[in-house]
Amino acid sequence: MVAPLSWLKEYVDITLSPEKLGEKLTEVGLGTEKITKIDNDIFFEFEITPNRPDLLSIIGIAREIAAIEARQIKYPETRIDIKNIKPKKSLPLNIQTESTINPRFTGIIVDGIKVKDSPKWLSEKLIKIGQRPINNIVDITNYVMFELGNPIHAFDYERINGKVMKVHQAKGGEKFKSVDGLSYYLPKGAVIISDRENIIDLCGIKGGFNSGTFENTKTIFIRVPVEVPVLIRRASQSLGLRSEASSIFERGVNAGGTPEALERCLDLILEIAGGEISSSIFDIKKEDFAPWVVNLSYERLNKILGITIKKEIVLNILKKLNLSPKDTGKDLIKVVIPTYRNDLKIEEDLIEEVARLYGYNNFPKTIPEGEIPTKTILYFKNYLIDEKVKNLLKADGFSEIYSYSLISEKDLVNLNINSDKVLRVDNPVSREFEYLRPTLKINLLKAFVQNKPNFEKINLFEMGKVYLGPTLDEANELYMLSGISNEKNFYEIKGLLERIFEELNIDEDPSRFIDVTRDGVIFELNFSDILEKTKLERVYKPIPKYPPVVEDITIEISGIAKTGEIINEIKKQSTIIESVELKDMFKNNRTFHIIYQHRERNLTNEEVGKIREKIIEAVQQKFKAKVV
Amino acid sequence: MEENLIQIKNSAVSLILEAQDQKELDEIKLQFLGRNGRLTLAIKELSKLPKDKKPEVGKLANEVKSTIEETIASQASVIGKNQAEKIIEKIDITSPGIKPNIGHLHPLSLVLSDVIEIFKTLGFQAADGPEIETDKYNFEMLNIPKDHPARDTQQTLYLDIHKSHAKPGEIILRTQMSAMQGRVMEKTKPPLRVIVPGKNYRYEQVDASHGFEFWQVEGFLVDTNVRLTDLFGTIDYVLQKLMGEKIKIKFATTNFPFVEPGVDTYIECTVCKGKGCSFCKQSGWSEIMPSGMIHPNVLKAVGFDPKKVSGFAFAIGLSRLVTQRFQMDDLRLLTNPDLRILNQFY
Repeated sequence: MVAPLSWLKEYVDITLSPEKLGEKLTEVGLGTEKITKIDNDIFFEFEITPNRPDLLSIIGIAREIAAIEARQIKYPETRIDIKNIKPKKSLPLNIQTESTINPRFTGIIVDGIKVKDSPKWLSEKLIKIGQRPINNIVDITNYVMFELGNPIHAFDYERINGKVMKVHQAKGGEKFKSVDGLSYYLPKGAVIISDRENIIDLCGIKGGFNSGTFENTKTIFIRVPVEVPVLIRRASQSLGLRSEASSIFERGVNAGGTPEALERCLDLILEIAGGEISSSIFDIKKEDFAPWVVNLSYERLNKILGITIKKEIVLNILKKLNLSPKDTGKDLIKVVIPTYRNDLKIEEDLIEEVARLYGYNNFPKTIPEGEIPTKTILYFKNYLIDEKVKNLLKADGFSEIYSYSLISEKDLVNLNINSDKVLRVDNPVSREFEYLRPTLKINLLKAFVQNKPNFEKINLFEMGKVYLGPTLDEANELYMLSGISNEKNFYEIKGLLERIFEELNIDEDPSRFIDVTRDGVIFELNFSDILEKTKLERVYKPIPKYPPVVEDITIEISGIAKTGEIINEIKKQSTIIESVELKDMFKNNRTFHIIYQHRERNLTNEEVGKIREKIIEAVQQKFKAKVV
Repeated sequence: MEENLIQIKNSAVSLILEAQDQKELDEIKLQFLGRNGRLTLAIKELSKLPKDKKPEVGKLANEVKSTIEETIASQASVIGKNQAEKIIEKIDITSPGIKPNIGHLHPLSLVLSDVIEIFKTLGFQAADGPEIETDKYNFEMLNIPKDHPARDTQQTLYLDIHKSHAKPGEIILRTQMSAMQGRVMEKTKPPLRVIVPGKNYRYEQVDASHGFEFWQVEGFLVDTNVRLTDLFGTIDYVLQKLMGEKIKIKFATTNFPFVEPGVDTYIECTVCKGKGCSFCKQSGWSEIMPSGMIHPNVLKAVGFDPKKVSGFAFAIGLSRLVTQRFQMDDLRLLTNPDLRILNQFY
């Protein structure tokens, strides 16, 4: 929303400098994104939060400034009183509407107008806020919408067939030509107005071509409606069609403000385009749209805010915001909410009003009191394990990457993965980011390739989620740990993973997680599973009181005996074998370093000799290997 | 005889103390204590002395011998030290060291560890939850019913429901970590102090300060007497710990349907030091942490009584915080795996 300072000043006196004003407005919730000086004016660009449709108008912004500056707002004066109109003639119009789809329908007929270009002051104002002037009638309705926040539409009365306006919902598929000449197929449920033959209005979004105000228009019907936010939003979304009006309606228009907006619009039309009022005011509504009362407990206000704000200050803030507080003399303050502030519904809303005008940056800061919860919650995750593992990888020369979870179909094809079995986003930002990665390897390989021109030795890893299908019914998110290295060999990676498992107390052979490729050694393991299996508890084992017996045994293996299996076989032979390690490897010879250790007494040569014999026998039998 | 012994001692000691290296020392030792050494020969002469003189002179000879031995030993250690110092003198200590091959952790991990650690000191537990989320937790339980205009500010990525039983629009990639509020709160009674780090997704065009994938750390605290000043204090404490005490912080009113009052937190942009740059949209401030007091409708949705408990919630824009911490001017640097970037972080 753009607001020129010159325009704001018509309604409120401003003493703060534009920069200070912008800062203060941001603090109270009117995010000031930009302040620009063009010619002799200053333009504020605001980000309006969805709860404040009133701030989509200049007067709404002026009201906020008035609250900050503690000033009265000057509403535009008109020469007519909408509540007291005595038309000289009364042209016929049959309005059929329903409050469930059109809560309020306010309107009037003006005859004998002259459509022409707007006066300079009007077209200049519209240009300042980025609107293109069209003609005096359209410009006035636009201007009043930007000024007061109530969208207005002028119909060419002569072109309303049968002088019937029926508000109803589209069946779906009807063709509608808007005032700018574009055609749309209407979605089911869109609120529209039909005359006896045609659709003449797409309510809350855009007017129809066949009832628009053009050069030859002589008589107009001005409609100031209240629309149902959800209905406008749905239609606007499914058409992909947004307008200033639809933004206001979907957030909730000032339902009490339609007569004032009509009055202002009518006054300007009579002044600028001439003509005379040619009907009574139409105001079809089911309820009064009167201001409502929200109770504020002074005690609760201070309790939630954490400070004691003097009651006079609270009342004064509410007054500055035009919220007419009534002090009951007890704890309760009765606060009357004007209809343009439909964001204020409950006590907490009022607490925010007081807090934001008091100034968030004026509050003291406290640290929460109360009990520290000690019970482990559901969804708890021990991030220390992540850190531990990442640090081990780092210590071994690996650097960490974070990559996108969303990948392309091409990425999948490159790894021979069938994209049919991979979870997919329906509305991807681009084809590059369409699928949820089922493996971390894709991005690691890309990262590897990217670094190749600059680095000889590359060791990369990522710890992150993968998303498994094949369909949403089986969707499963898992943490994976994956790495790639062109520096280390299979055994070095295996040793690294073995060490990680050792630290986490996991008894598993990591070989199956490792793959040797042309680019290097790649590993990927299910880290969610690792997190489940991890045991961080450690129990101290006393150092042995008795000396170990240490010896090396060299075995010549034949055929396809696997070193790992031989080690396991040796270990199996006795419980006093503390450890077996591969010490050396030459052709078919494997030298194992064996430590025998009894925890309660000294070992005799005889004892160790017997176990050695068992080992020799076992490896001979199982692996047809002989001791060298 | 006595005089001869004392002369031997004096000459030996002076030679020893002048010795510059072990070899010289060894020669001196041989010269005095060797088989034909001066002292050895002198001791042999003792037998020629008259009987009454022998004990006295023998004692002196022993003293001379031990003095020479001790002096040799002490000089040997002096020489050893000097030689060690000389090795250092011989090498070029200005040549660079040989570094162990240690890798680098990603800046996101580094800052996340800090965040978790700081919140731990305030009694917050860290949790984890799904990225594939339902509309219910991501929006509805957070007081954002279907057709709420606030949904526009979080354009959603929907998952393909093809071949599954999911209803259209129900399964999404979470747009905000606040989705975890409902999940945790519906299963746990207050008091609650929780943070949840994680990745979020939005249909958003990528630029220097926005991404379609970004990290947040959600946090919430629910107890019997939680105040707005507690929220201000917690944010202030945490940001000072994370960014240093000099960091400038300001609060502003904002609106999210799941908080009331709503608070936004800005820090002075570290990239431009508040002067205004493309990263902070020329404002000099970076929006880092939306927050607020938990809306009564959210508390009600998880079965809490808003009259009895209150709470605050916040979402730290972790990706943005990381870039701010290291004065990086583009969020996309965080997903760039170039080692020339990664190698800068420890």
